[in-house]
Amino acid sequence: MRSLRLAWLSLVRQPARAVLGILGIAAIGALLFDMLLLSRGLVLSFGELLQRSGFDVRVLASDAPPFTGPRLADASALAGRIARLPEVEAVLQLRVREAEIASFGGGGVAPDGPMDQAVEGVGRRRRVEFIGADPQVRSMWTIVEGEDLPDAAAEAGPLVVNPNLARRFALSPGSEVSLRGRCANSPEALPPVTFTVVGIAEFPFDSVTSTTIAGTLADAGRLCGDAGVDRAEMLLVRSTPRAGAPGAAAAIRALEPLLHVVTNEDLIERFSRVEFSYFRQISTVLATVTVFFGFLLIAVLLTVSVNQRLGEIAALRALGLSRSRVIAGVMWESAMLVGAGGLLALPLGALLSLWLDAILRSMPGLPAALHFFVFEPRAIVLHVALLAVAAVAAAAYPMRIVAVLPIAATLRREVVS
Amino acid sequence: MNHLRRSLLGAVTLLAAASAFNSPKPDDVPGVLISRQLLESRGLRIGDRVRLAREATGEGARTFRIEGTYEPTPDPMRFAQPRLEARLHLPDLLALTADPSDPAAGESVTSINVALKDPSDAARFALDAAARLPGTVARPTRAPDERTGTFVVLERFHLAIAVVTIVGSAVFLLALMVMLIDERRGTVGTLRLIGFTRGRILMQVLAEGAVIAVAGAVFGILFALASQDAFNRIFQWRYDTTLIFLRVTPRVIWQSLLLALPLGIAASLVASWTLLRRQLLTLVRR
Amino acid sequence: MPSIVEARSVSRIFPMAGGAVAALRDVSIGIARGDYIGVVGPSGCGKSTLLHVLGCVDVPTSGQILFQGREVGSLADAERSRLRLREIGFVFQRFFLLPMLTAWENVELPQAEAGVARAERRSRTQALLEYVGLAARARHRPSELSGGEMQRVAIARALANRPRLLLADEPTGELDEATGRQIVTLLDRLHDDGTAVVVVTHDPAVAGRAHRLLRMRDGRIVGEDVR
Repeated sequence: MRSLRLAWLSLVRQPARAVLGILGIAAIGALLFDMLLLSRGLVLSFGELLQRSGFDVRVLASDAPPFTGPRLADASALAGRIARLPEVEAVLQLRVREAEIASFGGGGVAPDGPMDQAVEGVGRRRRVEFIGADPQVRSMWTIVEGEDLPDAAAEAGPLVVNPNLARRFALSPGSEVSLRGRCANSPEALPPVTFTVVGIAEFPFDSVTSTTIAGTLADAGRLCGDAGVDRAEMLLVRSTPRAGAPGAAAAIRALEPLLHVVTNEDLIERFSRVEFSYFRQISTVLATVTVFFGFLLIAVLLTVSVNQRLGEIAALRALGLSRSRVIAGVMWESAMLVGAGGLLALPLGALLSLWLDAILRSMPGLPAALHFFVFEPRAIVLHVALLAVAAVAAAAYPMRIVAVLPIAATLRREVVS
Repeated sequence: MNHLRRSLLGAVTLLAAASAFNSPKPDDVPGVLISRQLLESRGLRIGDRVRLAREATGEGARTFRIEGTYEPTPDPMRFAQPRLEARLHLPDLLALTADPSDPAAGESVTSINVALKDPSDAARFALDAAARLPGTVARPTRAPDERTGTFVVLERFHLAIAVVTIVGSAVFLLALMVMLIDERRGTVGTLRLIGFTRGRILMQVLAEGAVIAVAGAVFGILFALASQDAFNRIFQWRYDTTLIFLRVTPRVIWQSLLLALPLGIAASLVASWTLLRRQLLTLVRR
Repeated sequence: MPSIVEARSVSRIFPMAGGAVAALRDVSIGIARGDYIGVVGPSGCGKSTLLHVLGCVDVPTSGQILFQGREVGSLADAERSRLRLREIGFVFQRFFLLPMLTAWENVELPQAEAGVARAERRSRTQALLEYVGLAARARHRPSELSGGEMQRVAIARALANRPRLLLADEPTGELDEATGRQIVTLLDRLHDDGTAVVVVTHDPAVAGRAHRLLRMRDGRIVGEDVR
């Protein structure tokens, strides 16, 4: 009779205990699995978002996070110089302005909705983020309805709006909307500028409440009355397949040593180290706690189980079963409990991750497409490995009890007790 | 102005250096306070002279003397970011960052903080200020904003994790109680043979379960209190901040007790009942 | 007749918190093929310890145990296990059947451990259960058997690998008189079929069946009666 079968029979002999052990492992195994998903989830998701934008290098004036630092001076000339590098396929200038919707269609002020707060001074629901970009370069957004910004200048500035804005204000291709810039360098109210919506697009970094609009670089300048000021928040660069992002970044650094050049990988690394560090820390801490908890649960279950069967074990040893055979039986018991629980933990963990992901994604300002829990095969491998370690560690003490069990003394004790 | 201030902070990292160049006389050099983290990371000392500029190129840099250092107020939204900051007198900051083509630049600030005689009047004051000063935004500091939303979400996340942990712990507890009660099978059988009723034995088990639950909960709370310092120290060291990450408050203690006690008692009751409902002879038979 | 197992000046001392206890003191005995030995004596005189030492379950503090002329004290634990598996059968007062296995599986267990082929195991197990009169209860678990039936299964298990020597420690200790007599009859039959039997017992009925009766006191053999 194999140790495996003996172990199985020992477990099913106490079904309540075995089931509870498996359920306990499943519950904490699910949490372990989720923490493994969380440990790199943000990094993977963020990386995917960056890739989706279609550009793999970013040029900024300083190492401050994007859109928080100083602007790039002489942005057009700079973009031109970078675009001429053999390692570079395309360069996109980004100018970001804040604006508010002044009116729609034929005129009239857009009504304040229930979400407006008078104490804020301006209706929040009418605020938009205006991204000025060069329409001749392939954009970072994806058109879902209508058309993209035209290459040639149009009479009424063309706009692409995000679906949230389109839904909220019933905008569609052809709609007219007037925007008034909210610019730091202009303490007085700026005159509104009229635009025509040409398309509806999804912007990769939009949150669920974002109200994003894209227009031309020139129109971004018109909004704030600084059309002549050639400054951009950022340059997005697409490298040639041959050079790749590192090659393009190195070439740009050589050309413009004072600027801050980051590849997508650099950005991911920085966000992983700084902005995402809390989630990495908590995933590490909770993963450690769950593995320890699992170890504790199985160790206690097995130790008590072995202690209750000392007489039987001593009798088996007296009959001639080898020590290694009996020890193997204990190890198999641990493996079966943890294995069954660990397997059950995977679908449980997957369901749990959906719930936890939904909670975290409700954080204000996060890109709607960003996920915290992202599946990768590595998570399953780690999950199995960690539970295996827990199973072995948990069986260590009960195996030791069996290994050093004094047969005669135990038999004697069993008779007396 | 936020981006200007940040650019200033960024420029500090480029240009901060020990002074060894022609500089204005000491009494002409304005003072600046820099954060402890900046002081340590750049190897600066109080009394050193640094040049700060708005632009990364260093254009328009001005010389300042480090008058002192300060510990930045911990910001939970930025705890992972190194606090490399400087504080200038407002006229110095404006002189450094103002756009010379803008005649109003010297009079522009990012925000004005107002301390009221009666803080409970903040909401009404903000409304009043907004009405009297068109184009401005007035907001009580306790008003909910995006940062509050972030922490509300994090709190829900932590609660979700706690719920899962409690479920796992409950199963663990039940498994333990089943084993412990099962070990007493013979005793329970003998008591039943003697004539003890199920209810009588259950009450005894209940009392034991309550004692174990209380002892366990107290131990857990003491352990949490002892370890919160260790956790805080580790994270404060890791992120070079004075932020408190973990705090066991009376509310947390009460919540733990209110969860642990019923859970412990319920586990012992369930485990006991599975034993007591069995036939008497199966309890005493080996 | 050459001995199956021989004890030469064997002592077994147990260190205890309250002082060392000499369970066996300078005991010498030989068990030959065909022997039927009873061991009697007051509680604590070392009867079970003697059985454990002879059965290689325990190692003497001093002296030698020779199994078929081979000194077993220096054997590794695994080798002693193999010795017990193939050459010695044990019957305990408390049966020690595995409760999650059927009677059939309990008897089959030592054979599987000894590497006996499946077909051979099947036929041998069937034969053993018939030998002890429990072929009809083969699929029953210990909890479904009476005390006497459990002990008979235990005897069948002890004989699973055809040992030369059967050691029984108070085999009727937990049985009523009538059932005990059934067990004694079974032991008689075993002996008649060629197995050497050593029985530790308080039961005069069991002791009366033995051909050699060893009387023990304070860890020593103080007398021997041969019938």
